[in-house]
Amino acid sequence: MVTKMSETLSAAAAALGLPEAIVERSAAARAEETGMSVDEVLAAWAGGKTVETPASSAAEPEAPAPEAPEEDTAGAPEETAAPPASAAIIDVPPAPTRAPAPVAAASGKPPTLIGSSDRPMTVVMASIGLFLAVFMIAVVGSSTAQDEPGARTSHVDYSAAGENGRDLYASLGCAACHTQMVRPIVSDVGLGPVTLSDMNQIPGSRRFGPDLSGVANRMSGAQIGAVVGGFGGHGTTSLSTGELDDLVTYLMETAGVTE
Amino acid sequence: MAATQKADIRTLLGAGADEDRLAVSHFLIGAGFLVGGGLLQALAIFTLRFDDLLPIGYGLLEAMANLTLVLGFAVISLLGGVYYVLPRLTGARLWGADLARLALLALTGLVLAGDLVLVLGLGSGRQPFGLDWWASIPIALVLFLPAGVTIGTLRNRRETRSFVTLWFVIGGVIWLPMLFLAHLIGELPVVGAVTASVSELFLSAGVLTMVIITLGTGLVYYTVVKELDIPLASRQLGIVGFWSLGFAGVWWGLAQTVFGPGPDWIAGVVAALGLAFPIGALINAANVSMTLEGHWDEMGDRPGVASGVYGLYFAVTVAVMASFASFPTIGSVTALTTYWEAIEYAILLGAGSLLVAGTTFEALPRAAGRRLPTSDRARTFNRLTIVGVGGVLVSLAAAGLVTGYSWLGGSNTAAFQDAGDTWAVGAGAAGVLTLVAVGFAIVTVLGQFAYASVVAGTIFSGKVVAQDLLVADGDEDE
Repeated sequence: MVTKMSETLSAAAAALGLPEAIVERSAAARAEETGMSVDEVLAAWAGGKTVETPASSAAEPEAPAPEAPEEDTAGAPEETAAPPASAAIIDVPPAPTRAPAPVAAASGKPPTLIGSSDRPMTVVMASIGLFLAVFMIAVVGSSTAQDEPGARTSHVDYSAAGENGRDLYASLGCAACHTQMVRPIVSDVGLGPVTLSDMNQIPGSRRFGPDLSGVANRMSGAQIGAVVGGFGGHGTTSLSTGELDDLVTYLMETAGVTE
Repeated sequence: MAATQKADIRTLLGAGADEDRLAVSHFLIGAGFLVGGGLLQALAIFTLRFDDLLPIGYGLLEAMANLTLVLGFAVISLLGGVYYVLPRLTGARLWGADLARLALLALTGLVLAGDLVLVLGLGSGRQPFGLDWWASIPIALVLFLPAGVTIGTLRNRRETRSFVTLWFVIGGVIWLPMLFLAHLIGELPVVGAVTASVSELFLSAGVLTMVIITLGTGLVYYTVVKELDIPLASRQLGIVGFWSLGFAGVWWGLAQTVFGPGPDWIAGVVAALGLAFPIGALINAANVSMTLEGHWDEMGDRPGVASGVYGLYFAVTVAVMASFASFPTIGSVTALTTYWEAIEYAILLGAGSLLVAGTTFEALPRAAGRRLPTSDRARTFNRLTIVGVGGVLVSLAAAGLVTGYSWLGGSNTAAFQDAGDTWAVGAGAAGVLTLVAVGFAIVTVLGQFAYASVVAGTIFSGKVVAQDLLVADGDEDE
C-alpha cells in the first residue's frame, strides 16, 4: 500500500514537475477539504486531472474575474480561448458564481487573464517618458532660477574650517530640523535677508528648530557652541572641540560674521 | 538528515513555485523591517518633543526610519507582491528569479548597512535617507534588478491581455530606480544647493507616491478582484488612476519649500499639477468602491480586502491634505512645519502599510500554503493602524498649523530679537500636540507588531491548506 502510494506520489510529482514533499502536502490538504483520500487526489493529479473543491475552499480562483466589457477593446481581438499552456494551476477552483467563469478555470487549463490586448512594453516606455518630463520640470526647471544679477548674492565663500563645518552640519542631519532659508513672506520677517537661488548653504525643508542662516547675528560663537553641546533643550552631539569650532565657523560665515 | 531539514525549511518558506517562495521571503523580511522601522519612527517623533533625552537626534533617527521603512519594509514587501502577481498575470515563469533573490539579499544588506552608516555619523544628511553617494549608488543599482525581472517576465508573457494591475507594477518598478538616479544628480559638484535640495524632495515625495502608493494600489486591484471573485468596475478608470499617480508623484514634495529660493513659477506648477494626486487617489478608491458594490459585507471576512480598501481611502485623505497645502497661500503657513511630517508619516505608515497588508494578507496563504493564524489579528492591525496613524496625522498636522500661524503672527520676529530662539515660543501649543502624536505613534507600533505576528504566524505555524501551485511546461527563465 505504501509502495503504491509512493509510486502515485512520484507519478503526480513528475506530472506536475514539483518536489514530492510539496505535492504530498498539497494533496493531503486537498483531500481533507474534498473528503477524498490522498491516494485518489494523487492519482487524479498523476493522470493530469483536477480535483474539484467546495465553494468554501481556501483555494481561490487563480485568475481575476473578468472586467466589465470595455469599449476600447472593440478593435482588439477578444480572446475566448485559453492562452498557451505555459503555466497551469492545479487545485482548480470552482467556477465563479457571479461573474462568467474564465475558460481556463472551468477546464483546468491555464488561467485566462482578463484585460485588454495591449503592449506592456509601450507602458514601460511611456512610464519612462512621463518620469523624464516630470524630472525636467521639477529638478532641471528649478536649476534655472535666476535672481537679479549683481545686486546681492547669497553665495558664501567659506574658509577651510567653514567648509568642514558645512560637511559636519550635513552629516549630523542638522538640516532635518533647521533651515538656512529666509523666504520673502511675513513668517520670515526678522530672520535676515531673503535667501537667493545662488545660495550654497544647506536650505533644509523643516524648521522644527530655528532658522540658522543668521543665527550668528543673534548669538555669539560661544553661545552657539553651548547650544550645539546640549544647552537649552537642544540634543547633544559628540563633536570634538575642533569639530565644534568648525561648525560654529560655518554658521558664523553663513551669517557674514567674523570674530 | 541535512537534506530533510533543507526540504522542511523550503516548505516553510513557501510550498508552491519558486516565485511564491520568493514572494514569501519578501513578505517575511519586510515585516521585520516594519517593526524595526516603526520603532525608529516613533522615537524620531519623540525627539521632536524631547530632543535632549536620546543620544541620537531627530535628524539621524528620521533618516534611519525612512531608510528602514521605505526600502526595508514597503519596497521589499511590495516587490514580494509583484513577484506573486507577475506569473499569475502573464502566464510566464518569473524571468531571472535568481536576480530577484539577489536583489532581496542585497537590498536587505544595504538597508542594514545604511542604518549602521547613519549611526556612525558617516551619512551625508541628504534627505530622505541621509546616505552619501557611495552608499546610494549601490542601492540605485540594486533597484534596477526588480525592473529587469519585471520586463524580462513581460517579454516572455503568454497571456496577451493585461489586467490593470500590470500597469501599476510596470510604473512602480520602473520609477523606483529612476527616482534614485534623479536623487544622485543632486550629488554632482556642478549642481547648486537649491537643485540638490529639490532632488531630495523629488525622491521623498516620488518614492511614496510613484512607488509605494502606485504599486500598492495596483496590487489591491488584484486582491479585490481575486478575493471576492467579482469583475473590476472599470479598466479605464484604473488606467487613468495609474497615470494620475505617476503625474502627481513629486509636486507635493516641492510644495514643502514654497517661497524658497527656487524659481517663482514652480509654486504655480506645484499647485496646479499637485491636484493630480487627490484625483488619482480618488479615482482608484472610487473604482474599487464601485467594484465592491453589493459585496461590502464580505469585507469583514477578508482582512486583505479590508486593508486594501482602508489604504486607498487613507491615500485619498492624505492626498487631499497634501494638495490643499500645495497652494501657495496655504503653503505659506504649512511649509517647513510638522504638517508635512504628518503627510509623509500618513502616506508611508497609513496608506502604504495598509496597501501592503492588502497584498500580504491575500497572497501569503496562497504563496506559503498556510492559512492566516487568525483574521482577528489582521483586523487588529487595520484598527490600530487607522487609529494610530490617523491620530499622528491629525495631531502633527495641527501642530504644524499652530506653528505656522504663530510665525505669521510675529512670534518669529520679536522673540527672535530677544531670545534668538523663537520656534519654541511658536511651538508652545504645538509641543502638546506633538506629545499627543507620540502617543498615537506608539499605537501605530502596536499595530505593526500585529502585522509582523500575522506574517510570521502564517509562515511558521499557519494551518496547511490546499493551494495554487504554478506549474510550467518549460523553464523560460533558465
